[in-house]
Amino acid sequence: MARYNPPEQPAILQVFDIACLVGAIFLALWFPLYMGWAGVSKSITKIDNPTWELLHQTPAQVEQWTKLGKDVSAAHDIIQNRYNYTIDWTQLLIMVVVLVGYFIFLFRASEREYRDVIDEKFNQK
Amino acid sequence: MWIDFSYLCWAVSAVLVAWMLFDWYKTDTSYSEEALTSSREGEIEATSEKHKV
Amino acid sequence: MSQSTMTATPTKISLSRVLGPAHVWALGVGIVLVGEYTGWNFSADKGGSLAALIVCWVIGLLYTSVAMIDSEVTSTIAAAGGQYAQAKHIVGPLMAFNVALYMVFAYTMLEVSDAILVGDTIVAKAGTDGLNHNAFLAVTIIGLAWLNYRGVLATLNFNFIITALAYLAIVVLFLSVAPWSQGTVLRLGEMITPANALPYGWIGVIASFHFGIWYFLGIEGTTQAAEEVRSPARALPYGTMAGMITLLIAGAMTWYVCASLMPWEYLGTTYYPLWDAGKLTGSPALENMMFYATLLAAIASANGCVNDAARAWFSLGRDRYLPTWFSAVHPKYRTPYRSIVFLLPIALAFAFISDLNQAITFSILSGVLQYTFMSINIVMFRNRWPLGSIRRGYTHPFHPLPAIVLFILCVITFFAIFLGYGAQLTAMVVFYLVVSIWFHFYRYQYVRRGDQFTMPWPKPKGF
Repeated sequence: MARYNPPEQPAILQVFDIACLVGAIFLALWFPLYMGWAGVSKSITKIDNPTWELLHQTPAQVEQWTKLGKDVSAAHDIIQNRYNYTIDWTQLLIMVVVLVGYFIFLFRASEREYRDVIDEKFNQK
Repeated sequence: MWIDFSYLCWAVSAVLVAWMLFDWYKTDTSYSEEALTSSREGEIEATSEKHKV
Repeated sequence: MSQSTMTATPTKISLSRVLGPAHVWALGVGIVLVGEYTGWNFSADKGGSLAALIVCWVIGLLYTSVAMIDSEVTSTIAAAGGQYAQAKHIVGPLMAFNVALYMVFAYTMLEVSDAILVGDTIVAKAGTDGLNHNAFLAVTIIGLAWLNYRGVLATLNFNFIITALAYLAIVVLFLSVAPWSQGTVLRLGEMITPANALPYGWIGVIASFHFGIWYFLGIEGTTQAAEEVRSPARALPYGTMAGMITLLIAGAMTWYVCASLMPWEYLGTTYYPLWDAGKLTGSPALENMMFYATLLAAIASANGCVNDAARAWFSLGRDRYLPTWFSAVHPKYRTPYRSIVFLLPIALAFAFISDLNQAITFSILSGVLQYTFMSINIVMFRNRWPLGSIRRGYTHPFHPLPAIVLFILCVITFFAIFLGYGAQLTAMVVFYLVVSIWFHFYRYQYVRRGDQFTMPWPKPKGF
């Protein structure tokens, strides 16, 4: 195999490549925010007329809440805001497929490119 | 006081950006592109560290 | 042109070799230490205070593996770009391209988080109506870009000082709350009761792996300095290991003080756990100290991130993965100045639009993808160049145990991120898949093949 000589890339195409990449970066980071997917799966279980006892806080804990400037109702919104860890199996499956597929493509395509590199570096001198 | 401080921060930011852009322009116009991009990976190895067992 | 590596002319401009092990430590610990000031505590939100301690240890194990593996590979492949150059020599070009993007993402979003922290901390301190954090974000990001532009030695000397101060603040806080006698200031037994120790049970412990990463994220960035360190084979392993030990101690002290002072629900949601801890001691001096230390830690971290992200981007340009234009080195300051300036508006834009724990999550995601790569990378490295075939600056013990541990912990962490942030994880991976396809089928045509392999090594086994 002959030594590979890459074509010269015109300046305008270089700029275009960079624009595409930056565009993709912004899309990947900003799109989930925009779609509201980025939100955490947390929700508040409301307690009417909360008291420290209903919120299961010990006297020592109440003292710290007070020092931090939070009264019962402010603390209520923090304490009752809980994660929901029920597993959505379809979503998990999609994630696993995407992740595993990505890594397989990554290593296989890299391997192919790597063979060319080694071949040109070591077999053509 | 804090509001003034925030204006000061904007001003400092603007000055630093202007300085970087100016220096960038000056550098790019006074050196050739070839010299600027002449750095190559692995040259350290060639001089200071030999990979011989 | 293809012979340019051979015919070095006197006018050649490259990064300058001025750094020692202390700078490597400052770069590594500087980036990470902010994690003790904010971020790690979100793991308490996901699983309770006890879960936060468990993940501190388990994630500490993950990062010890990272540091061991990284030290071996990087003491052998010492080039700017760190893991990027490793991937290029061991796995292949597409992997290297991805690794560089992981780093640019992880560090840029970490820088964004740091800047947001600086802004929000100042706004919280000021308590002035109508004060917006944008000015403080801008001055942080731009000021640090400027510092980095002006030279790596000054940048990392600065980092060493502020990192050491921020670290010292944690030690002073720890000693001044009488950690040896519970009940004086600290009340661990009353904050963590059997009923609230693990509020979500063991699934919460798994879930908290996600933010547990934040205790140590970025320590692997030490390798980015490889072309600027006077003796990479010695300074990089030494600085990285010393950094890891420092951080394990800081993590343990931070947890102990914070968990003994705050109910887990508060601890898990505050942005300033250590500053709050300072407040709760009742001493204005400690409170002020922790306020300034929070700022210093955030600035040190952002500073290291600007440094690392720019070097990763610079390396991509040098190999033509991106236009060579980015591989310019400043003739006077010897820094990758175009990469530094180019990444500046990107960081700034995200600092303005995203919020703290989202930026942190993006950063963590890219980090974990990179650690997964590292666990596979070291196995391939040992197979392709067995011990004895090339000179290694450092050889890590117990291979392949660290690689296996690292891989398993990465899988668990992916699952932990899925709990709560699944859609973001999937979106990010789709992004990497799309740009990988773009690179493999289109961009790679502009890359020289044999020139990418720059190490003076024998041919790898099996080729």
